[in-house]
Amino acid sequence: MTRETQSTPAASTRVQRLGAGELSVDIRTPDLEVNFGPQHPATHGVMRILMRADGELVTGAQPHLGYLHRCAEKIGENVEWLQYLPYTDRYDYLASMNNNLGYSLAVEALLGVEIPRRATLIRIICAELNRIGSHLVAFGTYGLDIGAFTPFLYTFREREWMMALFEKICGARLTYSYIRIGGLFNDAPPGWFEEVSRFCDVFEQKWQEYVDLLLVNQIYVKRTANIGIISREMALDFGLTGPMVRGSGIDWDLRRDMPYMCYDEIWRSGAFKIPIARGEMGALGDCWDRSWVRVMEMIESIKIVRWCLDNMVEGPVIADIPKTLKVPVGEAYVGIENPRGELGHYVVSDGGKVSIRTRVRGPSFCNLAVLEDILPGSLVGDAIAIIGSTDIVVGETDR
Amino acid sequence: MDFQAIHDRLRAVAAPGLVGADLPRKPDPKVKKDKGRAGDPFVIVEAQRLVEFLEVCRDDDRLKFEQLVDLSATDPAKDDAQLWINVQLLSLKFRHRLSIKCLLPKAAPSMPSTVPVYRASQWHERECAEMFGITFVGHPDPRNILLPDDWVGSPLRKDYEFPKEYHGISCE
Amino acid sequence: MNFFLEGIYQTVGEHLPMWLMMLIAAVTGIAVVLGMVSLIAMFSVWLERKVSGHIQCRYGPMYVGWHGWLQSIADGVKLLLKEDMIPRDADRVLFMLAPGLVLAAILGAFAAYPLSPGIWFGDIDLGVFMIIAFSSMTTIGVVMAGWASNSKWTIYGSMREAAQVVAYEIPLGVSLLVPVMVAGTFNLREASALQADWFGMKWFLFTNPFMLPAFVLYFIAALAETKRAPFDLPEAESELVAGFMTEYSGIRWSFFFMEEYAAMFLMSALGAVFFLGGFESPLTHFAGEFFGKELVVVGASGAKELNFAAIPYHLVAAVTLIAKCFFGVFLMMWLRWTLPRVRIDQVMTMGYKYLTPLSLLCVLGAALWEAGKHALFGS
Repeated sequence: MTRETQSTPAASTRVQRLGAGELSVDIRTPDLEVNFGPQHPATHGVMRILMRADGELVTGAQPHLGYLHRCAEKIGENVEWLQYLPYTDRYDYLASMNNNLGYSLAVEALLGVEIPRRATLIRIICAELNRIGSHLVAFGTYGLDIGAFTPFLYTFREREWMMALFEKICGARLTYSYIRIGGLFNDAPPGWFEEVSRFCDVFEQKWQEYVDLLLVNQIYVKRTANIGIISREMALDFGLTGPMVRGSGIDWDLRRDMPYMCYDEIWRSGAFKIPIARGEMGALGDCWDRSWVRVMEMIESIKIVRWCLDNMVEGPVIADIPKTLKVPVGEAYVGIENPRGELGHYVVSDGGKVSIRTRVRGPSFCNLAVLEDILPGSLVGDAIAIIGSTDIVVGETDR
Repeated sequence: MDFQAIHDRLRAVAAPGLVGADLPRKPDPKVKKDKGRAGDPFVIVEAQRLVEFLEVCRDDDRLKFEQLVDLSATDPAKDDAQLWINVQLLSLKFRHRLSIKCLLPKAAPSMPSTVPVYRASQWHERECAEMFGITFVGHPDPRNILLPDDWVGSPLRKDYEFPKEYHGISCE
Repeated sequence: MNFFLEGIYQTVGEHLPMWLMMLIAAVTGIAVVLGMVSLIAMFSVWLERKVSGHIQCRYGPMYVGWHGWLQSIADGVKLLLKEDMIPRDADRVLFMLAPGLVLAAILGAFAAYPLSPGIWFGDIDLGVFMIIAFSSMTTIGVVMAGWASNSKWTIYGSMREAAQVVAYEIPLGVSLLVPVMVAGTFNLREASALQADWFGMKWFLFTNPFMLPAFVLYFIAALAETKRAPFDLPEAESELVAGFMTEYSGIRWSFFFMEEYAAMFLMSALGAVFFLGGFESPLTHFAGEFFGKELVVVGASGAKELNFAAIPYHLVAAVTLIAKCFFGVFLMMWLRWTLPRVRIDQVMTMGYKYLTPLSLLCVLGAALWEAGKHALFGS
């Protein structure tokens, strides 16, 4: 099957006279323009991709966004600093703790306030547990896209436990607003750390189930290996981050390379590794590598959580922040490692109660741009696999 | 490299369009009502020469900013006659970041597109264009990205007026 | 038909003309088939939901009846009461015909299914051929459905279905040739009767080393023919919304599903009859010894009459075959909920490049084995 990136003209028959009594007839049929979305089981949200397909071969793909645009950045300029926090939950709703964390760190960079150590450790536990939850959804729904119905239920079984843990600590299951500017909303209830420890123990066994059932399943490998290959140059040029970039063999993780909170301490103690894809099942940078990175990251997050539990200290969980916060004049950009990539918050303050710019750099937005280049040339079934492997959350793409 | 070293290197290689740098500082007690500035340091670059500047950032051996992480715009105040363009660069090799700011006149903001240097800015520029009304000359695909194709106005500007209705649907 | 005709002749007497008796017999047969297929579909729906539930660490339906056994009836009632939607730009005639064609084809195939060693709808000597031919006709209905829905996604589903079914017809038929060759007959009842030795355990699966690969190949081809995972591309839910069935709702949709479960049952039936012994099992053997096998005997008065004592044997035989069929159905369901979906070009590659040559090799090997057996040991 040849790779075509231009749309074919309308149906026509080209007849060429080659020589005495010889003809070459080339019948071209128009490509099928199919609307992939906005309502579709496999687009991970409300997104529309206008696909042009020559039968089963995709010849062009154009993502159309904005179906979930909720003007988060404009709202940031109209509500006070602390009031903006629930809005941050809602861009990447699968990893709300990380969104809260990113925003809080950006504002704290302007405030220059010292965060209590207990708050930092609990923040890391919550962020890593949320990373596990997010990767569980990513992996489970990816299996669902490929056609494996059961691993989805298994991953959600563990995710229920994680959400129950978060419900105990802050009362919410999906959008937490727990990590606040200056620390946390409240302290962990008694018994919470023991339950987190139990969760870690059980999760390691269950994790093996996912690997055995789906990751190394031959059909899954055949559906995802050598599909949607993103080369190193493409990954860097498009500003991809997170598992997209680690799946292409690039050794980059913000937690280790530009550490924030106390990740540098955890890294130096050797508690966790960064899984970088090696192209085991096919070309380096294919869909299988990206899903492998996500599955491996789950276990590394467990190790980070364990380190925090072992090194937990007593103390306050929030610094002294006034209820009506006035952030000093200035601007700051802080990027953290979201499950999907680098979540950046760029905040500008003029000294008042309300920010004058809250820019959110959503990793899904940047990761999605690469689809226009890698979808053409694949089959429709592969297109589903590639879109699933980018692990986008449309809340973050559109904000 | 820290910001000072990066700034020195930029000056050493005579990066085109480099105007200066702005560093955070404590409030100056001698100046009345000086609040100082918190946060990150950034370099200020001429908007029309941003493309060449980014090429230097990307290709120079000591800078090696392989990734453009973010390109966004800011409207600092209603009465301010300028828009800011904020670019965040990231170097994986040297593990450093750079914040760049360009100033554009609010009346007719237009600058060359940085897509030839970093493909990442393609979608970011589309968003800036629709949200602030900035024209990126030479952009390969200047369509609205988050807003509908027939949206009127630049929503993220401070003087933006919300529409009363859209296609017959009331927005009150 | 034989038994029905005899039964009607005996009960109602010689007064009725032959054509009326045949009509009554035919209508009774059709009613039995319809009832059977409905019951099979209802039970399969419940089974699917329970099997999928337990595989996924949950229970499945539990509220509607004991462990949800009334769920199928509740679903059926709901589907009957749903609004009948036909897209405005759809081809109305074809849209309404398609589910009917699909169901009619599979119901027709049931004519070759033997209810028990003595009760059948028609002792069709080309049973296998007929079942495969009729179940292939369902493809026409599927393509019709996809086309008539006037939607690009449904077209994808129906094109994939057509390609897939054509690809797997050959391995299906050829792998079935292995036991057919050993049996020497296409007739399901006769083939089943040939496996009665060894106390009802002389199944074809055990008599020839090429039977096991043939059975595996047949099973895979049957999965592809019935559009079950891992070959469920035509209705690939996460890719094509619901494939060719996207625009169907209510009772029309349930026709497609009845056809799917009926086809699964029939394919399992073929596999059960030709590989797994059909009616034969130790239980059937001893039931036959104890109760007697002949249902229609010549009575004291010289006229043919119904031998009620033999009914338990026929019941046991029928239940044995149905149990084997449902085992096959269960296996198909098990695979559906475990394995991911194969891509369409991989499906075709498998069908044409691997399954077809392998099944031909099986036929060759089985033939040589049988010939060798005859040469060495006599018949």
